[in-house]
Amino acid sequence: MDVTIKLFGPFRIDRFKKAVREYPSGTCVSEIIDELRIPLHLLGIVLINDLHAGIEDVLKDGDTVCLLPFIDGG
Amino acid sequence: MKVFTTDPVSEPSSVVYLRCTVDLNSADVRFEDVPCRNLEDVLGGFGRSFQILAERNISHAYCEGNPLIVNTGLLTGTTAMTGLRTYFSGYSPLKESKKGLPAAMWSTGSGNFGAKFKWTGLDELIFEGRSPKPVYALITDTPEGPAVELKPADHLVGLFAHDKMMVLKQEYGVNAHFAAIGQAGEQWENVYMGAVALSTDNQLKSGEDKMRFAGRGGMGSLMGYKNLLALVALSRDKIKAVSPEVRNVNINVVKGGGAARLQPISRGGGGGTWAAYDVLQAFHAVPINNFRPQGNDLPEKLFREHVEKEYVIKSEACYRCGITCHNNVHEKKEDNSTGRFLAKFDYEPLNLLGTNIGIHDAGQAARLIHLCDNYGMDSISLGVTISYLLSYNERHPEKPLLNGATFGDYDKIKELVELAGLGKLPEIGRGSKRLSESTGETSYAYHVKGLELPAYQPETNPGYAWAIAGGHMSMGTYGLLTREGKSDIESWVEGITRTKLQIVGFDMIGLCKFFDITKGICTQMVVDCLKSEFGLDVTPEALAAAVRRAFLLGLALELRQGYDKSEYTLPAEVWERRNPNIKLPDITSPEFIAELQKRVWEVFEPELEGLLGQP
Repeated sequence: MDVTIKLFGPFRIDRFKKAVREYPSGTCVSEIIDELRIPLHLLGIVLINDLHAGIEDVLKDGDTVCLLPFIDGG
Repeated sequence: MKVFTTDPVSEPSSVVYLRCTVDLNSADVRFEDVPCRNLEDVLGGFGRSFQILAERNISHAYCEGNPLIVNTGLLTGTTAMTGLRTYFSGYSPLKESKKGLPAAMWSTGSGNFGAKFKWTGLDELIFEGRSPKPVYALITDTPEGPAVELKPADHLVGLFAHDKMMVLKQEYGVNAHFAAIGQAGEQWENVYMGAVALSTDNQLKSGEDKMRFAGRGGMGSLMGYKNLLALVALSRDKIKAVSPEVRNVNINVVKGGGAARLQPISRGGGGGTWAAYDVLQAFHAVPINNFRPQGNDLPEKLFREHVEKEYVIKSEACYRCGITCHNNVHEKKEDNSTGRFLAKFDYEPLNLLGTNIGIHDAGQAARLIHLCDNYGMDSISLGVTISYLLSYNERHPEKPLLNGATFGDYDKIKELVELAGLGKLPEIGRGSKRLSESTGETSYAYHVKGLELPAYQPETNPGYAWAIAGGHMSMGTYGLLTREGKSDIESWVEGITRTKLQIVGFDMIGLCKFFDITKGICTQMVVDCLKSEFGLDVTPEALAAAVRRAFLLGLALELRQGYDKSEYTLPAEVWERRNPNIKLPDITSPEFIAELQKRVWEVFEPELEGLLGQP
């Protein structure tokens, strides 16, 4: 299945802003996080198709996953 | 401070604070030992000052009966990381109810002043009345204990906040740190949003104006009204050896999940609060042109990845803080080395004096932030009042206000900032509530209860309505929708009435919120610090209860100062002109807000009964 991955903030460094990648059916978000070596302690928000999701959520063909860092303060 | 108990919950009066009261009219200085009344008194900050303010009936901020209370928190000046905070409290010239009564306010900042203040041996300094002439207060550590005297400040009049500090540094040397106002605070009659600037080690050593600020609510204007231009805290450093318990806490603060995202990117962190730009842009929730996100990529012009192509960004820290969340922007020389310091890029000032007023050039935003800082104004209130004006002028091109500035018009916006800072533009200096009332167009004035909103879209945070001071410093719901994805009424009622109000605990105990922003102060880390530093046994539950009582007192004070429940709402434009560009569930429909108001007051009201009558 094809999954679009969008990265934000420091996650883009040495990676990419947006990419479409192929994964086996049943892949969950945490596997992508592991593959991309996104530091978990910085991961704040996971969106699947613009909706808040969890790292154990299973993806479907055509999904868009956004991985965003935390926001705090100002 | 003297501590004669291990149980401050049961025996608060066995913790005794040293208070100095200065009568600015007569220059009389009086010291007294004041036993604490309850745990929130012990913790300090606004937990103490609001109990003092509750004893005063104040109908005008600029009156001699309105005290300026300067204090610290229990952990200020200790070995606990981020224990640097100073608090300035009083009735605000800026934040007022529709009945025109001033709200009790506090503001806070880091830098070195707080620790030095605490090391003089003084816990609390109350300024009463007004000085007939410009003065500054000198607080010194002597063998007999702290001494406070007033000194003539004619030589400081008219100087930028930074320049005042550099003059005082010449006089008092390396053991002194400072709190000062800029010209804006001196022009208190026309500037209600004056900030208090606080000196830093980095600033005094480098000569660069890298100050910190207690900005919200006009406490700098209150200082100016009192003709009090600066405070000097003169003491040698009194840093104890760090205990193993506090060392473990500090390591956890720096390396644990809480502060990691605020650390420099070079250290594998998230890069400070600037990263909020990237996150909020994913939802098209970055404020643009007076809080009207457009669904485009305009905010990306101020993303760090673009700014660092042209400028040098130095990651720096507050005194002895390992979090290192400062992003100080410097010019980049031709050989790529670091040039002149321009400004610190925190999310709020960068957005509100940048994207939200149509400025998308980092250099221009930096210069506006720099001017705001040195004139000594709150960047949030200044930016949002200017964005209101620009929005008005966009609607009325045939008859614009003031210099006719529009979004993105840098030269005219800069002129507004300069004139406001010099007290020549009360239309800006007195804030967006008054400006919008003068035009009759209030729906797009982005304040709540008279205090301008920070740079989180109100569509994402109905919790603003119950913030008792700055919108995100005193109600931690600004991430409840964007970060946690909560859009149901139960989560919002729970957040506002129980969990997210706990953020105000940091503004009692002397710690920066980045110590542990999501959990508040009712944690084992804080318990360990209190035990190690003072021998105090306090449970997280007792801390949470004290924080809640302090918050509720703040709410009760608002109601006493004439706030009607109808004022616990958001700017009307939020639902009158719903923004289709924000990619988040709608939690600010009139129906949702009405239900939220009903449910929140159902929780709070019973607890507020009789609160102000209690000792």
